[in-house]
Amino acid sequence: MKVEAHKVARLHAILWGIFSLGGMIAAFLLPVLIYLTAIAYPFNLWPFNGTRDPSFLITGHRLGALFIFVTIAGSLYHGIFRFQSALTEVGLIKYRRALEAVGYFVIFVGIIVLGYYLATWYLNGTIT
Amino acid sequence: MGDNKRYPELRRRVSPGWWTASRHYAMYMVREWTSLFIAVYSLIFIYGLSLWATVSRANFLNFLKNPAIIGFSLAALVFTMYHAVTWFYLLGAISPIKIGRSKTKPWQALVLNLVLLVIVSYLAIWLLILR
Repeated sequence: MKVEAHKVARLHAILWGIFSLGGMIAAFLLPVLIYLTAIAYPFNLWPFNGTRDPSFLITGHRLGALFIFVTIAGSLYHGIFRFQSALTEVGLIKYRRALEAVGYFVIFVGIIVLGYYLATWYLNGTIT
Repeated sequence: MGDNKRYPELRRRVSPGWWTASRHYAMYMVREWTSLFIAVYSLIFIYGLSLWATVSRANFLNFLKNPAIIGFSLAALVFTMYHAVTWFYLLGAISPIKIGRSKTKPWQALVLNLVLLVIVSYLAIWLLILR
């Protein structure tokens, strides 16, 4: 029983650690990604006032694909983890297990799909 | 097991609207709810990539120019910046750095991290787009 409790506590520590890392990623990397995709590209502003577009961000450089993966996966984890935690604080505590299950499912599927597309483009040479 | 019986967990029952009782709690809850925009933006971006993978690159680019997506992304940017500012301030509050006899203040961590945010953003653009 004690070993089981220790394992659960360690898992919780790991999950909260990833949450904090996701918070740092969302704070430092997400603003620039949103600027590039939602302001610079649609409104033809720097640095997209020439020939390049946001697809270059993903396929132009392996580092770009890594940037996209880290930023989107980290932000998705952080956002969903915090949102489901907020829902338990506004009266949904009795649905905590269900909220966690749905939250982790969305995180898992999102990260797998994102990784799949990027890995496929890397393997077929779209990402140079 | 014995320890659990000796110290049972006692949860204080609070109403769903407890966070409206003070401005401090309300701001905390607003901060927590802004994370929804961060999560939804991430999911929208993954959906955009799926358009590229399953239809064409032009569909992905047109999707980014959709007014509804631009509007939502702008709101997400505002809330992401709010997240960044409160996160940086929190960092300074929970782990101040000791310099000599004094400790750094949360607003100093905020200013330093905002400067770092500008540098990181420019570096990302230079490395991934301009180079």
